[in-house]
Amino acid sequence: MTNVSYSRWLRIGALTLGVLVILVPLLVVLFGTFKTLPQLFASPLSPPSHPTLGNYRQAIDQGGLGRALLNSVLVTAAAVGITLLLASLAAFGCARIPGRFSWAVYGLLVAGLAVPAQAAIVPQYVLFDRLGLTDSLPGLVLADITATMPTAVFILGGFLRTIPATLYEAAELDGAGPLRAYRSIALPLARPALATTGVFLFVIDWNDLLYPLFFIHSQGNRTLPLALLDFQGEFLTQYPLLFAGVIIASAPVIIVYVFAQRYFVSGLTAGATKG
Amino acid sequence: MLRRSSTSRSRSVSAGGSGRGRTRRGSRRAHPALYLFPLPALAVYLVFFAYPTLQSFQYAITDWNGYSATYRDVGLANLSTLATGDDLFRNAAENNVKLMFAVVIGQSLFALALALFLARTTRASTLLRALFFLPTIMSSVAVAFIWQFVYDPDTGLVDSALRGIGLGSLQQAFLGSPSAAIYWLAVVQIWFHAGQMMVVFIAGLQAIPREFYEAAELDGAGAFQRFRYVTWPLIAPATAIVTAYTTVQSFKAFDLVLGLGGNPPNSSLDLLSTRIYTTFSNYQYGYAAAESLIFMALIALVTIVQRRALRLLGSRTGEARP
Amino acid sequence: MSPLPHPRPTALDRRGLLKLFGAAGVGLATAACAGPGGTTTPSTASAAAVPTTGTPKGSVSFAHWRSQDKSVFAELISGYTKKYPAASVTQDISPSADYQSSALLEIRGAQSGDVFAAFRGAQFSSFVKAGVYEPLTSGSLIGNYHSTLIAAGAQDGTQYGLPYELVFNTPVYNQDAFDKAGHTSLPTDWDGFLGLLDDLKAKGYTPLVWPGGDSSNNGQFLNTMVMNNAPSDQMFAEIEAGTYKTTDDWFVNTLKQYKQLVPYMQNLPTGTSTTSATEQFASAKAAILAVGSFEISTVRSLGAKFPVDLVAPITTSTAAAAKYEGVYNATFILGLNAATKVGPAAYAWIEYLSDPVNAGIYANGTAQHVTVADVEYTNADLKRIEPWLTKKTLLDPLYQFLNLNISAAVVNSTVSVVGGTDPEQAAAHAQTIIDQQIKIG
Repeated sequence: MTNVSYSRWLRIGALTLGVLVILVPLLVVLFGTFKTLPQLFASPLSPPSHPTLGNYRQAIDQGGLGRALLNSVLVTAAAVGITLLLASLAAFGCARIPGRFSWAVYGLLVAGLAVPAQAAIVPQYVLFDRLGLTDSLPGLVLADITATMPTAVFILGGFLRTIPATLYEAAELDGAGPLRAYRSIALPLARPALATTGVFLFVIDWNDLLYPLFFIHSQGNRTLPLALLDFQGEFLTQYPLLFAGVIIASAPVIIVYVFAQRYFVSGLTAGATKG
Repeated sequence: MLRRSSTSRSRSVSAGGSGRGRTRRGSRRAHPALYLFPLPALAVYLVFFAYPTLQSFQYAITDWNGYSATYRDVGLANLSTLATGDDLFRNAAENNVKLMFAVVIGQSLFALALALFLARTTRASTLLRALFFLPTIMSSVAVAFIWQFVYDPDTGLVDSALRGIGLGSLQQAFLGSPSAAIYWLAVVQIWFHAGQMMVVFIAGLQAIPREFYEAAELDGAGAFQRFRYVTWPLIAPATAIVTAYTTVQSFKAFDLVLGLGGNPPNSSLDLLSTRIYTTFSNYQYGYAAAESLIFMALIALVTIVQRRALRLLGSRTGEARP
Repeated sequence: MSPLPHPRPTALDRRGLLKLFGAAGVGLATAACAGPGGTTTPSTASAAAVPTTGTPKGSVSFAHWRSQDKSVFAELISGYTKKYPAASVTQDISPSADYQSSALLEIRGAQSGDVFAAFRGAQFSSFVKAGVYEPLTSGSLIGNYHSTLIAAGAQDGTQYGLPYELVFNTPVYNQDAFDKAGHTSLPTDWDGFLGLLDDLKAKGYTPLVWPGGDSSNNGQFLNTMVMNNAPSDQMFAEIEAGTYKTTDDWFVNTLKQYKQLVPYMQNLPTGTSTTSATEQFASAKAAILAVGSFEISTVRSLGAKFPVDLVAPITTSTAAAAKYEGVYNATFILGLNAATKVGPAAYAWIEYLSDPVNAGIYANGTAQHVTVADVEYTNADLKRIEPWLTKKTLLDPLYQFLNLNISAAVVNSTVSVVGGTDPEQAAAHAQTIIDQQIKIG
């Protein structure tokens, strides 16, 4: 390989810069969880000189984070799963139905990408209220599904449409109906797209603040972002407490991600040829 | 039985592709059961999203304040005011455009760079990938607070560090600077979501068969040429997704802006999403609905223009794309 | 401009909707419209008044925004539950700015907030208009309060709510710092104020720390800056009505005075958050915190032990010309939800809070004064500030703003000036926006 040292140093340099930019704020957060607010302001970058676990204790006791974490997990898992299912079915249908009908349906579903959540939330609240779905986790799941459907259909639709019809025709000759075609052909080939979409949906649902803010009132139904808002006082943000809350909130997901990467990666490369 | 040949694979990688074999008119009728497939998604979407959205939009031609039992029809007055007589709205739109350029370029490049460096599956890469992905899963509330702390001129991270190493003259007001605040916001947005886009690029990169690179090398292509003629065209679908999604994401940035810019945000950080929210909070529902309409049109316009631009770019550097 | 208001708003025409969605119209036609005037609005006119007598029982939802008061309210709640074993109270807390945006929606249907708090100004008046309040008519309940201090909760002669908290939107100062700088009495005119700042600076303090970067708190300082400059006590209502302008002399002069203060402020003030400003004050780096008495408990929680009191920038050139010594506000307006299903319990909670002993627990626990009469203040800071209850203070004018965009434009002009913009330019820019917003209505 030509220019080894150049490109190698460039690589290392850029990677280091990237790592620093991402890492330094995270380190400040991590160290900050063991400090008090004045200590944090006095020396944000240094490791804690008199580490205290008080922030973690207070975050758990005062913030109800355990419950909020559970709620976030439940809501996100349900919303992502159901959305992937419904969106892949819809995208598959649109891909296999010829003519303007499927374009219209696809366009309709994807048009929602342009709609700001704030536009619909008031009538949505009223509607959900009448159906008794406000201040409930299932209601939140439903809200998330509707909000993320456009994104899911957008990504999955684009992908599913590229699967050549010949693959389906071969299966049809064997007597397979659309459901089998969906299950045995489309889904396996679409694994990378499904994984990508799943990640996107996860990020949106996990971090969502607007719907919980409007829809959820009781402490027991709060999701993580809402619980973290507690640490924002009217005049003072308790940074160390907040940071402790953030670590508690993020750690499980990161651990899962690290271990799941293996499956994640192999899922993404399924179908790629090796020769 | 089903051959997964490399040709069908590389075709599968392209998104929004040819649709070949689908629209042969008349020669194939869709299986009736297929019409049931989009039904559940449509039902949920229409009842719980489209319908409420339309309800909101019908108020765009009124002056409804959001809670009274009566209101007046104002025709297109809201829309014309927004177009010419509302500096706050125009300011927010300008901020969105600035943010979009900064974020789309910055985030895509950063994510691509990270992906290029971390595409192979080594221990170190796996760990680093998780690290870069970490900000994405943090709540935007948390991210806003972290960066508020970083940006504070007196007690915050950056300016204290600058003072510490004697570069005090380089101190910035960051979010307090009227002209630059939006770009500092872009930095936070990039920090927040680059990891997510990195994942997409990695997926795209890992789908490129090794032989292509080996063949290029045999032809004497250097690293940059390999990137230009092999990598870049073949990750076009990933690039398309990243740029389109980053654009929409930057337009819809909301929680983060409220966290960093306040509620309502300072004019240097006011975006259309927060402008609409403020208008709702100001008991100007009809006006907010009109703002939402323009917002939607803007996003649609930008997305279309962007797709055209990407297609032009793609067709000049590699495989022809339709 | 003259069309008659529709008596009943029309939903999107059904046929039009069906055309729009083709085959999927079936489900839509059945989802009844939920627009304004729909059944979700509690029709308070015809409904019976909320029962307030009877045994309190059930769960009362208490909606407010003060997360920092959570534990004090919890203490009061346990006292309440001891008194009324069949009843309970849960707090539903949102951050203050979000509370302003989303509260009406949630409280209207009594989803939340059987008893709820409201901000003075826009939120209060919109709540009244929306019919959320059950008027409070009991003489004995109202008699618990200082009659002069609860005007903010009344409209057109009816007492809709009871403002609970009494705060002073007047800067807080570090008494030790002032002593060190040789000032034992407060300045009475502008030159005196500047002289004080000079002396503080000479002793190594940041004389004045102002959270310019926080739109929730950077406007507080404007209260005391205009109280003696403005031609009328209703100056901001006048600006919103268009009769006064930010380009008027009195306001431009105020902006010029802001500019004079910049050398005495902290580094790059337009980027400072309230947290940072409070920390700088609590750690004795800054001598004056330009927010208000409501910050004192936060300052104490950061470990500050020095005595504090209030000082206002007297912006007039002579002492005699100064009408006011400071600014106060009566807020956190307690109200009874007209749609509540637990009337007696909710009312009993308001009664409980109105009792001087309980009000005292709240006051001393949160280091704030209350509008309830005959409260004993044991907190040292509250005692030191008690004299302010009888000084010449103006009711917080910032809350005269009902339109968020107009108030933001006015406050932002001060931020702009501190950031370096010429005062006349900043004033003109603000007025352009105000004119537009007045037109938009």
